[in-house]
Amino acid sequence: MRLIDWQLAFEQHLLAEMSTASNSFSATLIGGPTLDVETGLAIYHNAYHARLQEVLRDDFSAVWYWLGDEEFAQLGSAYIRRYPSAHYSLRWFGERFPGFIVEHYAEQGAPLAELARLEWAFTLAFDAPQGEPLTLQDMASLPPEDWPGLRVQLAPSVQQVTCDFNSLGIWRASKGEWDFPGSEALPLAQVCLVWRHQNVCQYRSLEAAEASALTGMVTRGWSFSELCAELAVTYQEGAPLQAVTWLKQWVQEGLLQRRAP
Amino acid sequence: MSASLPSLGYGLGLRSEYYQQILEQSPAVDWFEVISENYLVQGGKALYYLDAIAERYPLVMHGVSLSIGGPHALDIDYLKQLKQLSERIHPAWISDHLCWSRGNAHQLHDLLPLPYTEESLYHVAGRVRQVQDVLQRPLVLENVSSYVRSKANEFTEWEFLNALTHLTGCQLLLDVNNVYVSSRNHGFDAWTFIHNLPPESIRQLHLAGHMDYGDYVIDTHDHPVCDPVWALYQQTLEHLGPVSTLLERDDHFPPFQELLDELSKARELGASALDRRALCA
Repeated sequence: MRLIDWQLAFEQHLLAEMSTASNSFSATLIGGPTLDVETGLAIYHNAYHARLQEVLRDDFSAVWYWLGDEEFAQLGSAYIRRYPSAHYSLRWFGERFPGFIVEHYAEQGAPLAELARLEWAFTLAFDAPQGEPLTLQDMASLPPEDWPGLRVQLAPSVQQVTCDFNSLGIWRASKGEWDFPGSEALPLAQVCLVWRHQNVCQYRSLEAAEASALTGMVTRGWSFSELCAELAVTYQEGAPLQAVTWLKQWVQEGLLQRRAP
Repeated sequence: MSASLPSLGYGLGLRSEYYQQILEQSPAVDWFEVISENYLVQGGKALYYLDAIAERYPLVMHGVSLSIGGPHALDIDYLKQLKQLSERIHPAWISDHLCWSRGNAHQLHDLLPLPYTEESLYHVAGRVRQVQDVLQRPLVLENVSSYVRSKANEFTEWEFLNALTHLTGCQLLLDVNNVYVSSRNHGFDAWTFIHNLPPESIRQLHLAGHMDYGDYVIDTHDHPVCDPVWALYQQTLEHLGPVSTLLERDDHFPPFQELLDELSKARELGASALDRRALCA
């Protein structure tokens, strides 16, 4: 058997659902004095599946907490079969897991998929590029004439997850090892931000008005004066104060960096 | 007979569980080995600690994804990332494993054994040369633990390693625990393996623990080093002279002091082996 054919047969053995190898592949191998070929191959098969299941448990611990050991393991096995790892780093293995949950459970999977998206956002924030987040010191040294035209974008680690369900509550319950609070639809969808600040992952949900202001600046490209103008509809003469309050908070939290002119 | 490559002394595998204690305590560890893939990222805590530790200790890069014996084309993007990381932390050397870890299209994330045949030898040798061209330094390859062997083997594992160093100029990371594990699983003499390696090519030694199931042994890196592996280590140092020694732990992480105590044990046993070697010289 050529080397490549032998390796492909080995790969097939690892990817298979059962740990029993084909007779033709087993016949190419020798066991040891007390380790037979079947056991040796089962060691490799088990290690492959256990390693990938462990990665999913680590990256989606709240989904695991929701489903419990058995159902999570079944979901994990189905995912491993559907989307075997394609990246050299296990860090990326779970990338398609939220989408797979929708495939697997269809519409009933929406709350679970949202929770998985929230967890994956933490994974992305954890090792995203640092970028150059604005600091309060940067803002203090900004000349007054530059304020009206100030434009910002999100720092590279910032992830936005739109939540239609109480995913954040379930995530918190999983971290606190509290009883499962039950899944519920929210009366209004909320944006949850997940980001890294000073090497620690942070998260918080935004009220609709703040989310809309932030989106205006980082997605629609509003300048600071445009933000004030948009806020004037709701806040009248208090608009500049509200704009400065939010901007200061976003900068303090390390959410923003300057957008190139 | 002596190893010609200079020794860095006694090191530990750098694991995130111990980052903070390393920075706070500046422990008496001569060097750290980092898992390359953990730092092929764009930002975050791991790189922060890596940079801080690189300022204080010599580092070595140890990869798990090269798949030097795989059936696929080498991942040049991965190699370039390795090279970039090496330019950032200036490792004393870069190692990976004599194995394959990627199949036709999928990453298998395991250190899978190769058949030790002429076909494998030339396949691997050509790829080692490619890697060395990109990295611009000798590649250091580690012997892996294995649980099956190919019937097609034309060489022993140590003959294969000898031939590979001869063909490519690559160097060896001799994992003493892996030799022990494979010797138990396949029924060969561990000392015959080690004694027949080219001493001048041995860059580094690994020590780790395993799980002993009686009929077979699995390389788990989740236990302290066992007595037969310590004995084999001493025999190895007595034979080779000083070689950079690295203690690995990848699971069931003990308090940091326990790992430091185990490293001290390696130093003491290593020193007594080198004393015996000096007496016999």
